[in-house]
Amino acid sequence: MSSHSLNNQQRSFVQKLLRVALYTILIFMAAVYLLPLFVMVLNSLKDMEEIRSGNLLALPQDPSFAAWAKAWGSACTGSTCEGIAPFFANSFKIVIPAVIISTLLGALNGYVLSMWRFRGSELFFGLLLFGCFIPFQVILIPMAMTLGWLGLASSASGLILVHVIYGIAFTTLFFRNYYIALPRELISAAKIDGAGFFLIFWRIVLPLSPPIIVVTVIWQFTQVWNDFLFGVVFSGVDNLPITVALNNLVNTSFGGKEYNVDMAAALLAALPTILVYIFAGKYFVRGLSAGAVKGA
Amino acid sequence: MAALTIDNVKKSYGPTQVLKGINIAIEKGEFLVLIGPSGCGKSTMMNSIAGLESVTEGRILIGGEDVTHANPKDRDIAMVFQSYALYPNMTVRGNISFGLEVRKMPKAEREVQVDKVAKLLQIEHLLDRKPAQLSGGQRQRVAMGRALAREPKIYLFDEPLSNLDAKLRVEMRAEIKKLHQRLGTTIVYVTHDQIEAMTLADRIAVMKDGVLLQLATPQQIYDTPANIFVAGFMGSPAMNFIEATLVNESCVSIQGDGQILELPLLKNESNQPYIGKKVILGIRPEMITEPLSHKQDEECVKVVTLKAMLTEAMGADTMVLTTLADKEISCRINPSYKVSIGEQCEFMFDMSKAVLFDPESENLI
Repeated sequence: MSSHSLNNQQRSFVQKLLRVALYTILIFMAAVYLLPLFVMVLNSLKDMEEIRSGNLLALPQDPSFAAWAKAWGSACTGSTCEGIAPFFANSFKIVIPAVIISTLLGALNGYVLSMWRFRGSELFFGLLLFGCFIPFQVILIPMAMTLGWLGLASSASGLILVHVIYGIAFTTLFFRNYYIALPRELISAAKIDGAGFFLIFWRIVLPLSPPIIVVTVIWQFTQVWNDFLFGVVFSGVDNLPITVALNNLVNTSFGGKEYNVDMAAALLAALPTILVYIFAGKYFVRGLSAGAVKGA
Repeated sequence: MAALTIDNVKKSYGPTQVLKGINIAIEKGEFLVLIGPSGCGKSTMMNSIAGLESVTEGRILIGGEDVTHANPKDRDIAMVFQSYALYPNMTVRGNISFGLEVRKMPKAEREVQVDKVAKLLQIEHLLDRKPAQLSGGQRQRVAMGRALAREPKIYLFDEPLSNLDAKLRVEMRAEIKKLHQRLGTTIVYVTHDQIEAMTLADRIAVMKDGVLLQLATPQQIYDTPANIFVAGFMGSPAMNFIEATLVNESCVSIQGDGQILELPLLKNESNQPYIGKKVILGIRPEMITEPLSHKQDEECVKVVTLKAMLTEAMGADTMVLTTLADKEISCRINPSYKVSIGEQCEFMFDMSKAVLFDPESENLI
């Protein structure tokens, strides 16, 4: 009896110890990941004098948003000195249509590839997936030529087109794999009820899609917003996205490097994707793990 | 004019033929049950009628109109699915009226129709719920409501009760039967449950390996099955099959255990070619009972002593497993007749409904 309870005590002690160890590791790893962000926030609130003389990890003595204001409105990016604000607008101009179009096309593709199979549709899907594995650099020259033929070189529409084409492989994959789990009898029932291809899509399939739409939108938003290579190659001078502007800002210096402004600008540039994750992150996880539709 | 004509329909997936020339014609208001073991092609047949699958050969006519190549929506049919396939994003009301809406019925008429159907199926209080908030039986009703609302020429039921628990299944079965009697609808119903088939059907089509084995009324199927497969498939517990020799037109003998047992038969002309040859005797368990005094003097009745091997009490009856000529025979007796296991007991064979099969072709003689 006594040895038994002792055993239990020992066991619970070991369990507690393991739990402490687990949390220590988790907290340490979280710190490692958060540290760069922490350093950037700290130093974006300092002035250059303090950064030069002090410790990177020290708290700001006199926090100010001066560097943020400069990064936003008056820092020089190459030849212009209007901060990164105008490029923010450029990025949104490209990201929003690119995300909407690629998501819609992905949903439509996924619907066809899961519910309206045709001869060779599996092969078609396989080839489409190939698009997920093609590196950006490979398609730069053929894409530039194609955009030239289409008369879309150096335009926002051209860049949107590139992002849509590149994104379709991923969005189709997401939607197809989600729709394949929907009961096919649902489509049969709708067909017998008299609905056609698009009516079934709008009235039955799309209303069941919010979880995967959220996943796709987050994915595409992040991809397109963070893209640098396509932006720098295809956008032309009038439509430079934020990532290119950030690069120009960091590489343009008159006199000394302004680390505080650089860091504030980088944080501003990353803000939309961070916000998307904060507000929609839980739907992202939920959507990825969403199974069959209950009650179907 | 037949409500539905299936004219020599064949269907193949590559080299495998799943329907091998099916011919069925049903009248308006008839309740046809397609039954068979899984993989017999009954669901393919159903989907072909619905237009969800195309047929390789043959024609399908609905109300005299050739719909072999028509879209499902142009066939004037409604279907109830095994999984119900309710639209999860719509309310019950939305589910029932969707088909009407697609067919451009004005809103006021739609509402009248939905209310009518909801009242008929007693689901008025559920109209504003989503399918996920319903129980299995309620979903089943909604699925039927969706089919009823459109008032099509033909209703197709694809194993609609197989997802329900046993008690609910019996209830819904009666409900479907009542609905059919009340509305006089034409129904094609697929099931693998022979009790459902027996209780619901005006006529049963028994299928196996893509072939229609027999198309007849439930009683005909039960009493004069076309072959051994149909005889064994319909009826639970299954019919007893015993190897025997036909002695003359009205007598069959069973050999085994070094003894010969002769049983009487009803005279039947078609038996003649088999006199002196081997046959398979088929007799249903309920035709082998305890000796009943009021029947013992009948023409085709004989009392035999058999060894009881196992008893299964079912409440209303008791099933007894006995051996006759090294073969297990099940009998259905009154629970009050005491049978001890391992003992010889008297059983009464009523041979008036016994059937004979050709051992080669397995067809009814």
